[in-house]
Amino acid sequence: MVLLSSHASATFVFGFGFRFEINLMFVLLGFVQLFFSYFKDLVGREVTVELKNDLAIRGTLHSVDQYLNIKLENTRVVDQDKYPHMLSVRNCFIRGSVVRYVQLPPEGVDVELLHDATRREARGG
Amino acid sequence: MATGLRLVTERAGNGVGKPVIDTDNGEELMLVHPGVSIVLGNRPPEFPGTLYISNKQIWWLSDTDRAKGYAVDFLSVSLHAVSRDPEAYPSPCIFTQIETPAVDDELVDSDSESETLNLSKITQMRLVPSDPSQLNMLFAIFCQCAELNPDPTEEEESVHNWIFSADQLEDEDEEDEDSEWPVFQNPTHPIGANGNHDLAHSVFQLQINDQRFEDAEEMEQYDKNGHQ
Repeated sequence: MVLLSSHASATFVFGFGFRFEINLMFVLLGFVQLFFSYFKDLVGREVTVELKNDLAIRGTLHSVDQYLNIKLENTRVVDQDKYPHMLSVRNCFIRGSVVRYVQLPPEGVDVELLHDATRREARGG
Repeated sequence: MATGLRLVTERAGNGVGKPVIDTDNGEELMLVHPGVSIVLGNRPPEFPGTLYISNKQIWWLSDTDRAKGYAVDFLSVSLHAVSRDPEAYPSPCIFTQIETPAVDDELVDSDSESETLNLSKITQMRLVPSDPSQLNMLFAIFCQCAELNPDPTEEEESVHNWIFSADQLEDEDEEDEDSEWPVFQNPTHPIGANGNHDLAHSVFQLQINDQRFEDAEEMEQYDKNGHQ
Protein backbone atom coordinates (compact mmCIF):
# COMPACT_ATOMS: atom_id res chain seq x y z
CA MET A 1 0.00 0.00 0.00
CA VAL A 2 1.17 3.53 -0.64
CA LEU A 3 -0.24 6.52 1.11
CA LEU A 4 0.14 10.04 -0.03
CA SER A 5 -0.69 12.91 2.20
CA SER A 6 -1.42 16.13 0.43
CA HIS A 7 -0.96 18.63 3.16
CA ALA A 8 2.49 19.26 4.48
CA SER A 9 4.35 16.05 4.12
CA ALA A 10 3.91 13.20 1.77
CA THR A 11 3.99 9.83 3.40
CA PHE A 12 4.65 6.74 1.46
CA VAL A 13 4.10 3.33 2.90
CA PHE A 14 5.54 0.65 0.73
CA GLY A 15 4.48 -2.89 1.26
CA PHE A 16 3.42 -3.05 4.84
CA GLY A 17 5.77 -1.20 7.08
CA PHE A 18 8.47 0.57 5.14
CA ARG A 19 7.70 4.23 5.28
CA PHE A 20 9.42 7.47 4.48
CA GLU A 21 8.32 11.02 4.50
CA ILE A 22 9.07 13.89 2.20
CA ASN A 23 8.59 17.34 3.53
CA LEU A 24 7.03 20.18 1.72
CA MET A 25 10.26 21.82 0.77
CA PHE A 26 10.57 19.19 -1.89
CA VAL A 27 6.92 19.42 -2.67
CA LEU A 28 7.43 23.07 -3.44
CA LEU A 29 10.37 22.21 -5.65
CA GLY A 30 8.13 20.20 -7.83
CA PHE A 31 6.79 17.23 -5.99
CA VAL A 32 3.24 18.28 -6.57
CA GLN A 33 4.08 18.01 -10.21
CA LEU A 34 5.66 14.63 -9.60
CA PHE A 35 2.66 13.30 -7.73
CA PHE A 36 0.43 14.78 -10.32
CA SER A 37 2.22 12.87 -13.07
CA TYR A 38 2.46 9.83 -10.88
CA PHE A 39 -1.24 9.78 -10.10
CA LYS A 40 -2.08 10.24 -13.73
CA ASP A 41 -0.45 6.88 -14.38
CA LEU A 42 -2.71 5.34 -11.76
CA VAL A 43 -5.93 6.41 -13.42
CA GLY A 44 -8.28 3.48 -13.69
CA ARG A 45 -6.99 1.74 -10.58
CA GLU A 46 -8.76 1.19 -7.28
CA VAL A 47 -7.57 3.58 -4.61
CA THR A 48 -8.74 4.52 -1.14
CA VAL A 49 -8.75 8.19 -0.29
CA GLU A 50 -8.61 8.97 3.39
CA LEU A 51 -9.82 12.44 4.31
CA LYS A 52 -8.69 14.56 7.20
CA ASN A 53 -12.11 14.10 8.77
CA ASP A 54 -11.37 10.34 8.91
CA LEU A 55 -13.77 9.43 6.18
CA ALA A 56 -12.23 6.92 3.79
CA ILE A 57 -13.63 6.51 0.32
CA ARG A 58 -12.73 3.72 -2.04
CA GLY A 59 -13.19 3.98 -5.76
CA THR A 60 -11.67 3.92 -9.17
CA LEU A 61 -9.31 6.81 -9.78
CA HIS A 62 -10.88 8.80 -12.59
CA SER A 63 -8.56 11.78 -12.67
CA VAL A 64 -6.34 14.04 -10.65
CA ASP A 65 -5.37 17.63 -11.25
CA GLN A 66 -2.49 19.92 -10.38
CA TYR A 67 -3.94 20.67 -6.93
CA LEU A 68 -4.21 16.95 -6.30
CA ASN A 69 -7.97 17.20 -6.37
CA ILE A 70 -9.13 13.68 -6.95
CA LYS A 71 -12.06 12.34 -8.91
CA LEU A 72 -13.26 8.86 -8.13
CA GLU A 73 -15.82 6.67 -9.80
CA ASN A 74 -17.99 3.91 -8.35
CA THR A 75 -17.11 4.97 -4.87
CA ARG A 76 -18.12 3.58 -1.55
CA VAL A 77 -17.38 4.58 1.99
CA VAL A 78 -14.95 2.15 3.57
CA ASP A 79 -16.36 2.29 7.07
CA GLN A 80 -20.04 1.75 6.32
CA ASP A 81 -20.90 1.16 9.97
CA LYS A 82 -19.58 4.51 11.02
CA TYR A 83 -21.17 6.40 8.15
CA PRO A 84 -24.39 4.49 7.44
CA HIS A 85 -26.12 7.30 5.57
CA MET A 86 -23.05 8.25 3.64
CA LEU A 87 -22.63 8.05 0.03
CA SER A 88 -22.54 5.25 -2.34
CA VAL A 89 -22.06 7.35 -5.41
CA ARG A 90 -20.99 7.08 -8.98
CA ASN A 91 -18.84 10.17 -9.25
CA CYS A 92 -17.03 11.94 -6.50
CA PHE A 93 -14.77 14.97 -6.48
CA ILE A 94 -12.49 15.33 -3.48
CA ARG A 95 -10.75 18.58 -2.72
CA GLY A 96 -6.99 18.07 -2.68
CA SER A 97 -6.52 20.01 0.53
CA VAL A 98 -8.77 17.72 2.57
CA VAL A 99 -6.97 14.53 1.58
CA ARG A 100 -4.87 12.95 4.28
CA TYR A 101 -3.73 9.81 2.49
CA VAL A 102 -4.22 8.03 -0.74
CA GLN A 103 -3.81 4.30 -0.47
CA LEU A 104 -2.66 2.76 -3.69
CA PRO A 105 -2.65 -0.84 -4.80
CA PRO A 106 0.83 -2.36 -4.25
CA GLU A 107 1.04 -3.47 -7.84
CA GLY A 108 0.51 0.13 -8.91
CA VAL A 109 3.69 1.22 -7.22
CA ASP A 110 7.02 1.19 -9.00
CA VAL A 111 9.36 1.80 -6.10
CA GLU A 112 12.43 2.22 -8.29
CA LEU A 113 10.74 4.76 -10.48
CA LEU A 114 9.60 6.73 -7.46
CA HIS A 115 13.05 6.61 -5.92
CA ASP A 116 14.61 7.96 -9.07
CA ALA A 117 11.99 10.61 -9.54
CA THR A 118 12.17 11.82 -5.97
CA ARG A 119 15.96 11.97 -6.07
CA ARG A 120 15.83 13.94 -9.25
CA GLU A 121 13.37 16.33 -7.70
CA ALA A 122 15.45 16.70 -4.57
CA ARG A 123 18.47 17.61 -6.65
CA GLY A 124 16.34 20.22 -8.30
CA GLY A 125 16.78 18.74 -11.73
CA MET B 1 -10.06 28.98 7.04
CA ALA B 2 -13.16 27.03 6.13
CA THR B 3 -16.15 29.22 6.67
CA GLY B 4 -18.79 26.53 6.38
CA LEU B 5 -22.38 27.15 5.47
CA ARG B 6 -23.94 30.52 6.13
CA LEU B 7 -27.35 32.11 6.02
CA VAL B 8 -28.15 34.48 3.18
CA THR B 9 -30.86 37.03 3.74
CA GLU B 10 -29.71 39.62 1.25
CA ARG B 11 -30.83 39.65 -2.33
CA ALA B 12 -29.57 41.68 -5.22
CA GLY B 13 -31.71 44.34 -6.82
CA ASN B 14 -34.96 45.05 -5.08
CA GLY B 15 -35.18 41.64 -3.57
CA VAL B 16 -35.89 40.10 -6.97
CA GLY B 17 -34.29 36.93 -5.82
CA LYS B 18 -30.77 36.92 -7.13
CA PRO B 19 -27.78 36.57 -4.86
CA VAL B 20 -25.42 39.45 -4.30
CA ILE B 21 -22.41 38.81 -6.51
CA ASP B 22 -19.12 40.40 -5.64
CA THR B 23 -18.23 41.35 -9.20
CA ASP B 24 -15.61 43.82 -8.02
CA ASN B 25 -13.54 40.91 -6.79
CA GLY B 26 -13.89 38.95 -9.98
CA GLU B 27 -16.86 36.89 -8.93
CA GLU B 28 -19.16 35.85 -11.73
CA LEU B 29 -22.24 33.72 -11.95
CA MET B 30 -21.68 30.40 -13.71
CA LEU B 31 -25.08 28.80 -13.43
CA VAL B 32 -28.63 29.43 -12.34
CA HIS B 33 -30.65 26.29 -11.85
CA PRO B 34 -34.27 26.56 -10.73
CA GLY B 35 -36.26 23.77 -9.12
CA VAL B 36 -33.72 22.55 -6.59
CA SER B 37 -34.41 21.36 -3.06
CA ILE B 38 -31.77 21.58 -0.37
CA VAL B 39 -31.19 19.10 2.44
CA LEU B 40 -28.94 20.24 5.27
CA GLY B 41 -27.52 17.48 7.40
CA ASN B 42 -30.32 15.11 8.33
CA ARG B 43 -33.01 17.74 8.19
CA PRO B 44 -36.03 17.48 5.91
CA PRO B 45 -35.67 18.94 2.42
CA GLU B 46 -36.43 22.62 1.88
CA PHE B 47 -38.04 23.74 -1.38
CA PRO B 48 -38.77 25.23 -3.76
CA GLY B 49 -35.54 27.03 -4.38
CA THR B 50 -33.02 28.05 -6.97
CA LEU B 51 -29.40 27.05 -7.11
CA TYR B 52 -26.86 29.69 -8.06
CA ILE B 53 -23.26 28.81 -8.71
CA SER B 54 -20.55 31.41 -9.09
CA ASN B 55 -16.85 30.84 -9.60
CA LYS B 56 -16.48 31.27 -5.83
CA GLN B 57 -19.51 29.96 -4.06
CA ILE B 58 -22.78 28.10 -4.14
CA TRP B 59 -26.11 29.58 -3.14
CA TRP B 60 -29.46 28.07 -2.61
CA LEU B 61 -32.15 30.71 -2.35
CA SER B 62 -35.72 29.99 -1.40
CA ASP B 63 -38.27 30.91 -4.07
CA THR B 64 -40.98 31.67 -1.56
CA ASP B 65 -39.18 33.17 1.42
CA ARG B 66 -37.09 36.10 0.24
CA ALA B 67 -35.20 36.18 3.52
CA LYS B 68 -34.18 32.56 3.35
CA GLY B 69 -31.12 31.27 1.61
CA TYR B 70 -27.85 29.49 2.22
CA ALA B 71 -24.40 29.92 0.76
CA VAL B 72 -21.11 28.12 0.99
CA ASP B 73 -17.73 28.92 -0.52
CA PHE B 74 -16.14 26.35 -2.74
CA LEU B 75 -13.19 26.54 -0.38
CA SER B 76 -15.36 24.91 2.28
CA VAL B 77 -16.66 22.15 0.06
CA SER B 78 -14.38 19.21 0.80
CA LEU B 79 -16.12 16.81 -1.45
CA HIS B 80 -18.99 16.68 -3.88
CA ALA B 81 -20.51 13.70 -5.54
CA VAL B 82 -23.41 12.43 -7.59
CA SER B 83 -25.57 10.29 -5.36
CA ARG B 84 -27.99 7.99 -7.17
CA ASP B 85 -28.13 5.08 -4.77
CA PRO B 86 -31.58 5.14 -3.09
CA GLU B 87 -30.00 3.64 0.00
CA ALA B 88 -27.70 6.62 0.38
CA TYR B 89 -30.53 9.07 -0.23
CA PRO B 90 -34.01 8.43 -1.68
CA SER B 91 -33.72 11.10 -4.38
CA PRO B 92 -30.81 11.40 -6.79
CA CYS B 93 -28.81 14.42 -5.74
CA ILE B 94 -25.53 16.23 -5.54
CA PHE B 95 -24.00 15.33 -2.22
CA THR B 96 -21.51 17.71 -0.66
CA GLN B 97 -19.44 17.52 2.44
CA ILE B 98 -18.71 20.85 4.05
CA GLU B 99 -15.67 21.72 6.08
CA THR B 100 -16.82 23.61 9.12
CA PRO B 101 -14.91 26.29 10.98
CA ALA B 102 -13.19 24.49 13.81
CA VAL B 103 -12.06 27.34 16.04
CA ASP B 104 -15.40 28.85 16.87
CA ASP B 105 -16.96 25.64 18.11
CA GLU B 106 -17.28 26.66 21.73
CA LEU B 107 -18.47 30.15 20.98
CA VAL B 108 -21.13 28.84 18.68
CA ASP B 109 -22.26 26.32 21.27
CA SER B 110 -22.95 28.87 23.93
CA ASP B 111 -24.40 31.52 21.67
CA SER B 112 -26.91 29.68 19.58
CA GLU B 113 -29.33 28.16 21.98
CA SER B 114 -32.12 29.34 19.77
CA GLU B 115 -33.93 26.82 17.67
CA THR B 116 -32.49 28.31 14.52
CA LEU B 117 -30.33 25.81 12.87
CA ASN B 118 -26.66 26.05 13.63
CA LEU B 119 -25.36 26.41 10.11
CA SER B 120 -21.72 26.39 11.04
CA LYS B 121 -22.13 22.83 12.29
CA ILE B 122 -23.66 21.49 9.10
CA THR B 123 -21.22 19.13 7.43
CA GLN B 124 -23.45 17.67 4.76
CA MET B 125 -25.56 19.33 2.15
CA ARG B 126 -27.60 17.67 -0.56
CA LEU B 127 -28.93 19.49 -3.57
CA VAL B 128 -31.82 17.70 -5.21
CA PRO B 129 -32.72 18.90 -8.70
CA SER B 130 -36.29 18.23 -9.79
CA ASP B 131 -34.86 16.74 -12.98
CA PRO B 132 -32.30 14.04 -12.10
CA SER B 133 -30.92 14.05 -15.63
CA GLN B 134 -29.26 17.36 -14.77
CA LEU B 135 -27.02 15.77 -12.14
CA ASN B 136 -24.06 15.13 -14.39
CA MET B 137 -24.13 18.68 -15.70
CA LEU B 138 -24.31 20.03 -12.14
CA PHE B 139 -21.48 17.76 -11.07
CA ALA B 140 -19.33 19.02 -13.94
CA ILE B 141 -19.95 22.66 -12.98
CA PHE B 142 -19.12 21.86 -9.36
CA CYS B 143 -15.85 20.26 -10.44
CA GLN B 144 -14.99 23.17 -12.68
CA CYS B 145 -15.59 25.70 -9.92
CA ALA B 146 -13.83 23.67 -7.25
CA GLU B 147 -10.75 23.64 -9.45
CA LEU B 148 -10.92 27.41 -9.68
CA ASN B 149 -10.59 27.60 -5.90
CA PRO B 150 -7.37 26.04 -4.66
CA ASP B 151 -6.57 26.82 -1.03
CA PRO B 152 -4.87 30.20 -1.05
CA THR B 153 -2.92 29.97 2.20
CA GLU B 154 -1.96 26.33 2.24
CA GLU B 155 1.50 26.69 0.75
CA GLU B 156 2.45 29.54 3.02
CA GLU B 157 1.22 27.71 6.08
CA SER B 158 2.92 24.50 5.19
CA VAL B 159 6.18 26.19 4.42
CA HIS B 160 6.08 27.74 7.80
CA ASN B 161 5.16 24.56 9.61
CA TRP B 162 7.53 22.28 7.86
CA ILE B 163 10.58 23.80 6.37
CA PHE B 164 11.36 26.41 8.92
CA SER B 165 10.41 24.46 11.97
CA ALA B 166 12.32 21.40 10.81
CA ASP B 167 15.45 23.42 10.12
CA GLN B 168 15.11 25.32 13.32
CA LEU B 169 14.82 22.12 15.24
CA GLU B 170 18.00 20.82 13.73
CA ASP B 171 19.81 24.08 14.37
CA GLU B 172 18.62 24.24 17.94
CA ASP B 173 19.72 20.69 18.52
CA GLU B 174 23.18 21.47 17.27
CA GLU B 175 23.43 24.61 19.37
CA ASP B 176 22.30 22.77 22.43
CA GLU B 177 24.92 20.14 21.96
CA ASP B 178 27.61 22.72 21.40
CA SER B 179 26.80 24.66 24.51
CA GLU B 180 26.61 21.61 26.69
CA TRP B 181 29.86 20.02 25.60
CA PRO B 182 32.18 22.80 24.51
CA VAL B 183 35.34 21.16 25.77
CA PHE B 184 34.88 17.70 24.41
CA GLN B 185 33.18 18.48 21.15
CA ASN B 186 35.49 21.30 20.18
CA PRO B 187 39.13 20.21 20.46
CA THR B 188 40.29 23.47 18.84
CA HIS B 189 38.42 25.51 21.41
CA PRO B 190 40.59 28.32 22.85
CA ILE B 191 39.98 26.95 26.33
CA GLY B 192 42.82 24.45 25.93
CA ALA B 193 45.14 26.79 23.98
CA ASN B 194 44.95 29.48 26.64
CA GLY B 195 46.61 27.29 29.18
CA ASN B 196 43.38 26.72 31.00
CA HIS B 197 44.05 23.06 30.98
CA ASP B 198 43.16 22.84 34.65
CA LEU B 199 39.62 23.82 33.90
CA ALA B 200 39.16 20.88 31.62
CA HIS B 201 40.89 18.72 34.19
CA SER B 202 38.60 19.83 36.99
CA VAL B 203 35.58 19.19 34.83
CA PHE B 204 36.95 15.75 34.25
CA GLN B 205 37.40 15.25 38.00
CA LEU B 206 33.96 16.56 38.69
CA GLN B 207 32.60 13.82 36.59
CA ILE B 208 34.52 11.17 38.43
CA ASN B 209 33.42 12.58 41.76
CA ASP B 210 29.89 12.31 40.62
CA GLN B 211 27.41 12.16 43.43
CA ARG B 212 26.02 8.97 42.07
CA PHE B 213 29.30 7.28 42.85
CA GLU B 214 29.23 8.63 46.37
CA ASP B 215 25.77 7.31 46.81
CA ALA B 216 26.89 3.98 45.57
CA GLU B 217 29.78 3.89 48.06
CA GLU B 218 27.54 4.92 50.88
CA MET B 219 25.12 2.26 49.95
CA GLU B 220 27.93 -0.20 49.87
CA GLN B 221 29.15 0.86 53.29
CA TYR B 222 25.67 0.80 54.61
CA ASP B 223 25.30 -2.67 53.27
CA LYS B 224 28.54 -3.73 54.88
CA ASN B 225 27.47 -2.18 58.16
CA GLY B 226 24.20 -3.90 57.87
CA HIS B 227 25.91 -7.21 57.36
CA GLN B 228 28.25 -6.76 60.26
